[in-house]
Amino acid sequence: MKESIYAIQQAVDELDIDGIQDKVKACIEEGISPLEIIEEGISKGLEIVGQKFEEGEYFLADLILAGEVVNEAMPLLEDKMDPSMTGKKGKIILATVQGDIHEIGKNIVGMLLKANGFEVLDLGVDVPASKIIETAKSSGVRMIGLSALLTTMVTSIKDVVDIATESGLRDQLKIVIGGACTSEQLKDEMGADAYGATAVQAVSIFDGLSQAL
Amino acid sequence: MGPIERIMACLEGREIDRIPTFCAMLEDRTFNEVLGKPPIPQETLFSNFVSTYALERWGRMLTKPIFQPLLNKAMEKRIRAAVELGFDATWGMYEETFIVKDSKTLILFSGSIYDLQPDGFGNMTYMYREPGITSRDKFESWPYWPDPDEVAHRAYKFYKKMVSKYGDKICLFGQASAYGIQETILWSLGFERMALWIRKEPEIISRFIKMNEELCLKTTIAMLDAGVPVILQSDDFAFKTGPMMNPLMIDELFGEPYKKIISLVHERGAKYILHSCGDNTLLFDTFIKWDVDGLHAYENTSNVDIYQEKKIHGDMVTIIGGVGVDYLLTDRSRDEEVKNHVKNLIKNLAPGGKFILGPVHSLSSIPAHKLKVMLDAAHAYGKYPLAKQ
Repeated sequence: MKESIYAIQQAVDELDIDGIQDKVKACIEEGISPLEIIEEGISKGLEIVGQKFEEGEYFLADLILAGEVVNEAMPLLEDKMDPSMTGKKGKIILATVQGDIHEIGKNIVGMLLKANGFEVLDLGVDVPASKIIETAKSSGVRMIGLSALLTTMVTSIKDVVDIATESGLRDQLKIVIGGACTSEQLKDEMGADAYGATAVQAVSIFDGLSQAL
Repeated sequence: MGPIERIMACLEGREIDRIPTFCAMLEDRTFNEVLGKPPIPQETLFSNFVSTYALERWGRMLTKPIFQPLLNKAMEKRIRAAVELGFDATWGMYEETFIVKDSKTLILFSGSIYDLQPDGFGNMTYMYREPGITSRDKFESWPYWPDPDEVAHRAYKFYKKMVSKYGDKICLFGQASAYGIQETILWSLGFERMALWIRKEPEIISRFIKMNEELCLKTTIAMLDAGVPVILQSDDFAFKTGPMMNPLMIDELFGEPYKKIISLVHERGAKYILHSCGDNTLLFDTFIKWDVDGLHAYENTSNVDIYQEKKIHGDMVTIIGGVGVDYLLTDRSRDEEVKNHVKNLIKNLAPGGKFILGPVHSLSSIPAHKLKVMLDAAHAYGKYPLAKQ
């Protein structure tokens, strides 16, 4: 691996917000393509961060910082990228379900998905089920991530599944749930397709789904 | 044994007659079921045309004369209902923390913004909306930060009254207008900004911690002066699967302020309990190092294993909680399920003492009846020496 690409990987891994831009500029000056910088430097760095999170070496706050490192780097690369490469892994609708306004988890998942090559349509918090399905219908997006923290609002997940069924879209959609009150059991109860216990897991679930769709 | 003696003995690891019980703050639905419903439901009071118009125009002006007395009344009702239900201890909260901005918005004086909304049972509740401090300028010019001495003075008056009315009937776990040192920053800045500012704006974080520490310290002294025997501070350090930050960083940032407050509480002969939601497994050693007497939550919806914790730290700290509010303490569960869960908790957590049974959290949907079932089971099966089950 080129040394300058490795330096980017390391900057992401070490959460080096202040140093990442210089390292990206150095790569560009060397003539390395933005795609290679993203795939070999940033994404690999994020993989290491994800691994450290899974192993308990990194915590939620570290994931935020890793996302910020990527946010610092991306503007330097986006200008120089072929527009068709943005969101090349697919599009995902993200929303916190109706009645629930918690967004930290959803935002972290969104940030990691973007950094991993997905395009994210973030509908925000307290989103009615009908709006989520209408968006899927009008945009053609087939992957949906639903976040719920409040125990009292879990039935909103079922509402999304039911409206998807009523509109004849259910078979085409993949609905992934996550958040404090969710579980594998709740996924089955509500009729969702997958449950992600952590933001890192959510990314790998969507990775798998995007390849299957 | 009386309730206060039972709780204090349990926190000290001394012999007690039966499992003590703890009531997390009762919300309106629950205390209305115990004490009787108000003649006009809160939702009607707050959502009619006249009040909406008044709150839209003069919300801030009406905070002190109208909103605060209503809140004070509710806070007393929480305590009174816990006494009537027969709990040994209750989390009392003096909340002088909100400013009404308009008919749908409350501002927490330390920097965060909330929706004022119906709770689904005819009452009003609040729900976190967003951080209020979104830049360095906003931090420097935040207009609502209170005078800690004035807040402490009013907290003293509130608790003096509560101790005189209920102090011999229930053990008051006091918290007064100061939320946790860390969670206040989290709500005010938002989690993403907090994580970033710890790295990029350490001077602001350090000042914010100092401000919160002063507020916590002064209100704690006020409660102790009023005769509150146990201080309970909420500070959610974890989420469902683990701590929000590296435990070493949590200790580095918040350890000293907490140790200072806890040491003061102990000097005054009182006890200190920390409430932290989520899976705190990796943080329990840190909290014990800070010298807390008890820990509350052990949320069943998180990954924490309360039974394992009993084995690891059960002789070092009192475990408080155990009964979930996601299913058991809801209308959906059967009485038998609550009873069986309480029996199981007693079987696994009561041997050796240092366990206080209660809900893992407050929630607006808890029916009073399920709390009664929980208490009856605790009283029936929790007598020391424990019978073999």
